[in-house]
Amino acid sequence: MPDGPLIVQSDKTLLLEVDHPSAEQARRSIAPFAELERAPEHVHTYRLTALGLWNARAAGHDAEQVVNTLIEFSRYPVPHALLVDVAETMSRYGRLQLAQDPAHGLVLRTTDRAVLAEVLKSKRTAGLVGARIDESTVTVHPSERGHLKQVLVKLGWPAEDLAGYVDGEKHPIELSPTTHPRTPHEQAAPWEMRPYQAQAVDGFWHGGSGVVVLPCGAGKTIVGAGAMAKSGTTTLILVTNTVSARQWRDELVRRTTLTEDEIGEYSGTKKEIKPVTIATYQVLTTKRKGVYTHLELLDARDWGLVLYDEVHLLPAPVFRMTADLQARRRLGLTATLVREDGREDEVFSLIGPKRFDAPWKDIEAQGYIAPADCVEVRLTLPESERMTYATAETEDKYRLAASASGKKKVVEQIVARHPDDQVLVIGQYIDQLEELAEHLGAPIITGQTTNKERQRLFGAFREGEISRLVVSKVANYSVDLPEASVAIQVSGSFGSRQEEAQRLGRIMRPKADGRTAHFYAVVARDTVDQDFAAHRQRFLAEQGYAYRIVDAEDLDGSPADSTAP
Amino acid sequence: MASSLPAAPAATTRHFADDLRQRSDTALAALLRARPDLAAPSPSTLRSLAARASSRTSLERALARADALTLQVLEAVLALEPVFRAPPGGADAGGPPLPGPLSPEVVTWALGGSADDRSLVEAAVHRAVEQALLWDGGPGTEQSDGQGSDRAADLRTSPGLDELLGPNPAGLGPHVEPVPDGLAEAVGRSLGSAPGRTGTNATEAALDTLLADAPGGARAILDALTWGPPVGVVPPAGSRPRDAVNWLVTAHLLVRSDARHVVLPRLVGLALRGGHTHRAPHTRPPEPQGRTVPTATADAEAASAALELVRRVRLLRQSWDDSPSSVLRAGGLGVRDLRRIAALLEADEPATAFVVEVAALAGLVRDDGEAPPSYVPTVTDWDDLDDAARWARLAEAWLTARRAPWLVGSRDDKGALRAPLSPDLQRPWVPRLRHSVLGVLAAARDADAVLAPTPDAVVEVLTWHTPRSVPPASAVEGLLAEAEWLGVTGAGALSAPGLALLEQDASANRTAGSPAGQEPSDVAGVLRAVLPHEVDEILLQGDLTGIVPGRPSRELARLLERSTDVESRGAATTVRFSPASVTRALDQGETADGLLDELAHRSPVPVPQPLEYLVRDTARRHGAVRVGSASAYLRAADATVLAGLEHDPSLTGLGLVRLAPTVLAASVPAAALHEALRSRGLVSALEGPDGRVLVARRGVTGRAIPAPRSAAAIRMGSAADVATRAPDPEALVAELRAVEAAARAGARARADAAEVAHSVAAPGAVPLRGYRVVSPAVPVTADEVTVTAPPEPAPSSSNGPDAPLDDDPGTQHPADGLALLRDALRDGSTVIIEVAGHTGRLERRELKPLNLDGGRLRALDPDREAELTIAVHRIASVLPTTPRPEANQN
Repeated sequence: MPDGPLIVQSDKTLLLEVDHPSAEQARRSIAPFAELERAPEHVHTYRLTALGLWNARAAGHDAEQVVNTLIEFSRYPVPHALLVDVAETMSRYGRLQLAQDPAHGLVLRTTDRAVLAEVLKSKRTAGLVGARIDESTVTVHPSERGHLKQVLVKLGWPAEDLAGYVDGEKHPIELSPTTHPRTPHEQAAPWEMRPYQAQAVDGFWHGGSGVVVLPCGAGKTIVGAGAMAKSGTTTLILVTNTVSARQWRDELVRRTTLTEDEIGEYSGTKKEIKPVTIATYQVLTTKRKGVYTHLELLDARDWGLVLYDEVHLLPAPVFRMTADLQARRRLGLTATLVREDGREDEVFSLIGPKRFDAPWKDIEAQGYIAPADCVEVRLTLPESERMTYATAETEDKYRLAASASGKKKVVEQIVARHPDDQVLVIGQYIDQLEELAEHLGAPIITGQTTNKERQRLFGAFREGEISRLVVSKVANYSVDLPEASVAIQVSGSFGSRQEEAQRLGRIMRPKADGRTAHFYAVVARDTVDQDFAAHRQRFLAEQGYAYRIVDAEDLDGSPADSTAP
Repeated sequence: MASSLPAAPAATTRHFADDLRQRSDTALAALLRARPDLAAPSPSTLRSLAARASSRTSLERALARADALTLQVLEAVLALEPVFRAPPGGADAGGPPLPGPLSPEVVTWALGGSADDRSLVEAAVHRAVEQALLWDGGPGTEQSDGQGSDRAADLRTSPGLDELLGPNPAGLGPHVEPVPDGLAEAVGRSLGSAPGRTGTNATEAALDTLLADAPGGARAILDALTWGPPVGVVPPAGSRPRDAVNWLVTAHLLVRSDARHVVLPRLVGLALRGGHTHRAPHTRPPEPQGRTVPTATADAEAASAALELVRRVRLLRQSWDDSPSSVLRAGGLGVRDLRRIAALLEADEPATAFVVEVAALAGLVRDDGEAPPSYVPTVTDWDDLDDAARWARLAEAWLTARRAPWLVGSRDDKGALRAPLSPDLQRPWVPRLRHSVLGVLAAARDADAVLAPTPDAVVEVLTWHTPRSVPPASAVEGLLAEAEWLGVTGAGALSAPGLALLEQDASANRTAGSPAGQEPSDVAGVLRAVLPHEVDEILLQGDLTGIVPGRPSRELARLLERSTDVESRGAATTVRFSPASVTRALDQGETADGLLDELAHRSPVPVPQPLEYLVRDTARRHGAVRVGSASAYLRAADATVLAGLEHDPSLTGLGLVRLAPTVLAASVPAAALHEALRSRGLVSALEGPDGRVLVARRGVTGRAIPAPRSAAAIRMGSAADVATRAPDPEALVAELRAVEAAARAGARARADAAEVAHSVAAPGAVPLRGYRVVSPAVPVTADEVTVTAPPEPAPSSSNGPDAPLDDDPGTQHPADGLALLRDALRDGSTVIIEVAGHTGRLERRELKPLNLDGGRLRALDPDREAELTIAVHRIASVLPTTPRPEANQN
């Protein structure tokens, strides 16, 4: 297509012009094999990777299809080397297969003897495979299934795993048609899975094991619940931290037939093993005297399903441990397959290929994600604070910058701009938050707040009895506050882009009246605070959120909706 | 032994030199064109031309250029020669085994192949004759030009060719007598020389008859030797195969060459091969293997490669402008500098070496000639051209370059690493190989699709073209890689700009004399047509990136280069704005408003707020900390002391600047400042050097040095080809003819004179320039006669480079002597040789040459019946002996 929406670069990036008439069609066509890297307003960047192409192969696409798609939508002739490379890469997947042999058990089979000879010759496969059965088959010890797959991906010959799974211990799990009320005065509401969530569950179940990619706030927990219901077996859920673990438990109780008693938490504080057990990555990777002490958890029950939340954050030791779980169904949930440590290949080999991917734009268009307006407010520090900052030790700098006194006034101004909204103020440092709460006359929730008090305040906020709430970082994870439409972050974690987006996604639920959500980050100018903010800014802009930078001096108390886009 | 003098009997065979002499002027000119080494330096006479044409070096050159088919033709003629011609001196043999001339038709039958092939074979024969690798040895007339006569030519190989092609041409054994009954006739019939051509059946039938009562295994032995090598080891005595061998030897189907070996005689071999010398003629080069690429793809790839190369050359020049790389002592660029440039160009080392080389070839960078020398960019108008024209300059320089950059990184014989730009990358054969390689690519380009042959396939095709000098695969690979980096090929296939480059070069060669690439060429235009659209807008995005959806225009490219970092290059360009990149723009004198205005002007969408904020924020911070240079400073605790100094008219020469109330900076060294203050009466103290004295960086601008006056002068290895330096072939032929005519007149006069003196003129001793005529019978008389009857001097001889036409008392031209020796070797005749003895005195002996090789002549002295070896350089002259009547009969 001479006027196509796509530009294919020789460095394997694909540039998609969003405003092009056939952009939507092109997006659908390239989504199966290209990873979305950046989605700013005009041109989205996708990347072709070996893993992406193998994912496409696993999903049943062939090289010809990929090549034709690229040629069809490309504005300029597609670099020849790239096409050759695509065909070459895709042809590598599936030449080796892991399968169950009635006589020999788990075997590695090949359609291409030379490939088998090549991988067997490698030092890395030594000890992972057993006796050679014939020219094109070799036995594999079941316990090395994961290691072998890892090694084969590294060698560039990913194996297709057709060996199947153990059934696992049966445990009835159903999705409940109505939500279970959290508080006595909350009403049970009917609900069902969104269409894309149901598709994701189906896609995963057909593929056996694999990863479902959904943007932040698209309801990955529900996909997990759906998968558990489909499996109907005992389930091990691995999550990033305790807060997340509790949120999972709440969601499962709310939306499935599972009761609190059936769900165990395996974390630093509690060590429960129940039919559904939620464990944190951290507890799994805890070492005592050089030994992982909690490995028994993995074999504690005959798990029928293992769920990995936020696969892109999965720590390296967990990969090693889960290599032994290859006989069980595995579902990875993530917003992005891009890992900052470059271990995408481990996700691919140990969890499985990508089974479902919903373009962010699609979900936004269906109204499941609210558009958000992100504003970074830059505050110039007064002379005295700048001096203190300039001479401070490196480790104190962030705290100094983040808890700058001027932020109080800025927050006040922002709150004044949103008189009719439910406003959350989020921060890291308790001193600062207490000061702010006092200043705004708003209640505060921190780690010290009792559970009862928390529930009461959240209830009141949800009901609209209070419209301002100051929360610490700990508290903000476990809340689902659909009516919060303004969030003000005064101090955040040190520039973790993923966590930022997570937080944003959680708070920015679609509003009943379709209002735009606002997210403010208050940042001290010319400090590390600003540098961290730059990371976040880039991430959010790449995710397609509109992003502006405003000087604190330019803020006024007028209502914000007149300036909102 | 034969003579070609008009007086000699017409039935005798002619000599190679006679054949050349009797060729038409156009045929001779064609010969000189086909073998340019014959014309440079100009041969003085036709005989020395013939001698040169049959010298080992020249033949080797000619064979190195001969294609597979020509070589087959030569082998066939060489193999058939003995069976069509009786061995010299074998007067009692009763004539050759096969009758008739060895005509081109016989050669085509010998090679076999389809009717289609035959015309190609005939053309190859014709070419070989034109190049004097073959000649017509038939009884010709004086006026025959070798092609127009109605009689079938009797082909012979050029003297000396047999040595180069080996003793077993086409894997056939020696020709020996006697020949088993019926074989000769059968072979003759299959070759068409005997009446009633029958094809291979005749030879099969004849063999069957001969082998009718042979012991078992005899045929198998023959079959094993059929397609060569024709030599077999004799089985141990008493075994059954031994019996078969013995029987075959008795039947003359095999010949014992020594105690342990048997050899298959040539005619038997030919019969076994059904009368053919080869299995099939290699009439055409093999079809190159490779994948087919759409022309549009090839062109697009070439375009992006071309842009990339131009960009890299530009970066290289910039880099060397800022910090020149030093020249290694042995010449060339050091490996550390190469790596630094490779990192800068984002290329691997071979590609970087090529960029450096091609920039030097185009005269864009060079050694500045200082001590120690460094590589610096030259001053040139290249920067003012557009991308396409810049590329054309680079490509043209590359096309004629005699350099082998692919050797960079390999080690030479002494183990030293070969460096880019070093003199030992010079290889004179590179242009020829480059043309052959590109020729193979060019043959595979159609309107829609173009073949991208693999390097191996290219080598295969080139092997057909010159089987005796197969180019090294590494060189072919190197050239193909260069073509790809340059964009002459795209995706491995010849691109439109590449084709245009070749065509331009071909037409420039046709209109010789006008140097290529001086006028704005078409090549740039062709490239311009395949380059991506020039785009003058950039899509700015909120994540601080910008996308140029095409090739940025020059102004846009300049803007982006100044103010952004490139993230992705290709058909489109993705750039990112960062504080560092914006700072760079500000450093170069850009202002925040100017930059934003320019961006807004080029963006179809409004400048995103974060970008605007970034630019303004960076500008705000830019210059908050300032750096300058000063030579000395002056500080005082009391600000009032300094206040007076800054504006003191007597201190203006010190360049005092007040940096702070208590600090002044000066532009003169501390000592001078100290002195000046002292002389004004102010007692100052000199602070010791503690590192705070800033030394101005060495000026980097103005490093550029002027380009050489003519572009050709700095193009490495672009010296004109030997062929173009050689004199015009037609003029040379005319000159040779003139000498010939003059000599003939002289010979006639001398012949008359000799008759008067009752002497027989020496055969073949046509007195040419530099040739001393000595008649063995009455030498003195002949000399005297010649002297008394000098030939008319040729008009052209007055400005000829050589000695006068008449008898030259000096030594004989070595080439002439060698030619005579070769003729004698061939005919088995004797010659009279004058040898410089130990005392330096000339000794004259009549000898029969046996072998001439490696600068030594092995010869038999018939009078003493002794063999002797003479170093060729000691032979002063060679004279033919008087023809013996009995030898003349053959």
